[in-house]
Amino acid sequence: MTFIVNILSLGIPFSVALLIASLGEMFNQRSGIFNLGCEGMMAMGAFLGMLVPYTIGQGADVPGIYNYLGLLLASGVGALLGLFFGLVVVTFRAPQGIAGIGMQMFGVGTAGTLFRHFIGGTQSVPGINTAPIPGLSKIPILGTLFFNHNPMVYVAFLFVPIAWYILFKTPWGLRVRAVGTHPRAADSIGIQVNKVRFQALAVGGALAGLAGAYLSLCQVKMFSDEIIAGRGFIAVALVYFGHWHPVKIMAGALLFALAQALQLAIQGLGIDFPYEFLVMLPYALVIVVLAFSRKSQKTGPSALGKPFNREIRT
Amino acid sequence: MKKFLILVLMLSLVAGMVFAQGAAEKEADSDVIKIALIIENTIDDKGWCQAMHDGITLAMEQNPGRIEYSYSEKMKPVDAGSAVLQYAGQGYDIIIGHGAQYKNLITEMAAEYPDISFAFGTSSEIVGPNVFSYMPESEETGYLNGLIAGMLTKTNTIGLIGPVDGGDAARYNRGFVLGVKAVNSAANVMVAHTGSFSDFVKATEVAQSQIRSGADILTGSSQQALGGLRAVADYRDKDIWWVGQDLAQIGIPEGYKVLSASSYNYAAVINTLVKKMDAGIVGGENIPMNFNNDGFVFKFNEATKSKITPAIEAKVNEALAAFKGQAGHASVVNWSSVKYN
Repeated sequence: MTFIVNILSLGIPFSVALLIASLGEMFNQRSGIFNLGCEGMMAMGAFLGMLVPYTIGQGADVPGIYNYLGLLLASGVGALLGLFFGLVVVTFRAPQGIAGIGMQMFGVGTAGTLFRHFIGGTQSVPGINTAPIPGLSKIPILGTLFFNHNPMVYVAFLFVPIAWYILFKTPWGLRVRAVGTHPRAADSIGIQVNKVRFQALAVGGALAGLAGAYLSLCQVKMFSDEIIAGRGFIAVALVYFGHWHPVKIMAGALLFALAQALQLAIQGLGIDFPYEFLVMLPYALVIVVLAFSRKSQKTGPSALGKPFNREIRT
Repeated sequence: MKKFLILVLMLSLVAGMVFAQGAAEKEADSDVIKIALIIENTIDDKGWCQAMHDGITLAMEQNPGRIEYSYSEKMKPVDAGSAVLQYAGQGYDIIIGHGAQYKNLITEMAAEYPDISFAFGTSSEIVGPNVFSYMPESEETGYLNGLIAGMLTKTNTIGLIGPVDGGDAARYNRGFVLGVKAVNSAANVMVAHTGSFSDFVKATEVAQSQIRSGADILTGSSQQALGGLRAVADYRDKDIWWVGQDLAQIGIPEGYKVLSASSYNYAAVINTLVKKMDAGIVGGENIPMNFNNDGFVFKFNEATKSKITPAIEAKVNEALAAFKGQAGHASVVNWSSVKYN
């Protein structure tokens, strides 16, 4: 029983960075923009997130407010990067795949360069610690599973119903879905397609930055150039996995993270089985589910990846 | 005509003096060995790359005026070729690719530049007449940390975070298991690999998983292990400790959780390279690193020394003396046969 509880309780925090970044990518893709630069935005968020408490405290404990200021800065710069990406792919209509790769390299490279300039070598920060919920965290099993996590874990899972509500129950969410599905029809009824896409990219960028800052401030509490290590690309895959729906994306992020926790636990058991296959397990799982998920062909935003030009009929 | 001859004579004289001066400089410089280092991370990564950088700078202090040194950081194997070409063009005597991932590049470049010495590691392979390889016999450092972990654990569960099961990491890990089993046959060493040398986040996840499963002493190899130490540091008031593979880990803010660290002293490799070059040997040999040839340094963390009982210290010192006295000591010689399960 302890074995299963450990896997479940570790899978939840492991999923958070992926969940936040995937929700941001979902807004991008719902508006018709395919953002492969998520990885770079996460890297910038990871660096800027830890920069604030590190600069103030130089490794020593700092008041918690500075950690949250770090999260805020990471989100803000992520939003700006989203707008910059919008300038490239919405205004200048650059190919989204190539521009995304460029954004990924720009973000990772800039974060690494700034890190070297302002901090130097690998440094840690006290960061945001686990905050057991008084009373509830003492409940057997359930307390360990649900009420003994980092505060950002609760925030991340709160984003799921918020994202669902915004996307499906608000006029802005309707506009996002409209410009991602039928931009010409949306334009014909007065929706400013490019403006909505810029807004969605800002939201996506802010969430990507926040996801990166979660890694550097809450999970590992340090920064290195390779801290994101492909998680931005996994976030993009999870959007397809979750059929552009917040709840299904959450399920995908949890599945991936639980598979990660499971493979670590199995390795720890010392079973005579090549660890390389276990390390592959979460990634293989996502590929298999994507391969067998025919539904993703039907529910994807039909204008995904297509630049909008009201002067040209497509 | 006479003036012209005088002019030619004077120019010849001046030219002769200039060339003579140059030759003298070259003669004087011939003692200086120019070393170039190519690394995939940075010189201050508190792990793999920093250890080599520190080793070279220490060797420079130990051999005053003998070594000239440059380095290139963040060099993926595909990018490193251009750096090697530049160093070759600038007349460097030894070009070191610090990591087994540079083997193919070094092999190709060594064939192209037979007058330059190359080195790479960790590896025992001999890949060319002008290529040195170096291999830390890390089972020795792992064994010492394993003794501490085996004698100190209260839960009899010990965590070991590996990057991949190869190279010196595999030797360290297996030596660690041998050390634990030598003093505590009941202890269970939970081994998990992240599949990466640099993914701090995954190392953190492994450590969290092992701590949840009861591990109270953890260790890890390569620079990603710092993520594991960071996870241990979150248990500030709990009896959960770290035995490290790099001395730099003692001096960082998380050092309050580090009991000991065994570190590589690459100065031993560099000093050997200098001696080989002086003797006219430009490659074709493997340079082992062990306690016997000062390739390793071991230290307890003075800040946490109160955790180390006299019995543990005596056991570690006994093993350390044995390693210093003899390379390939019997206690670790069969490291490769260790099974994790």
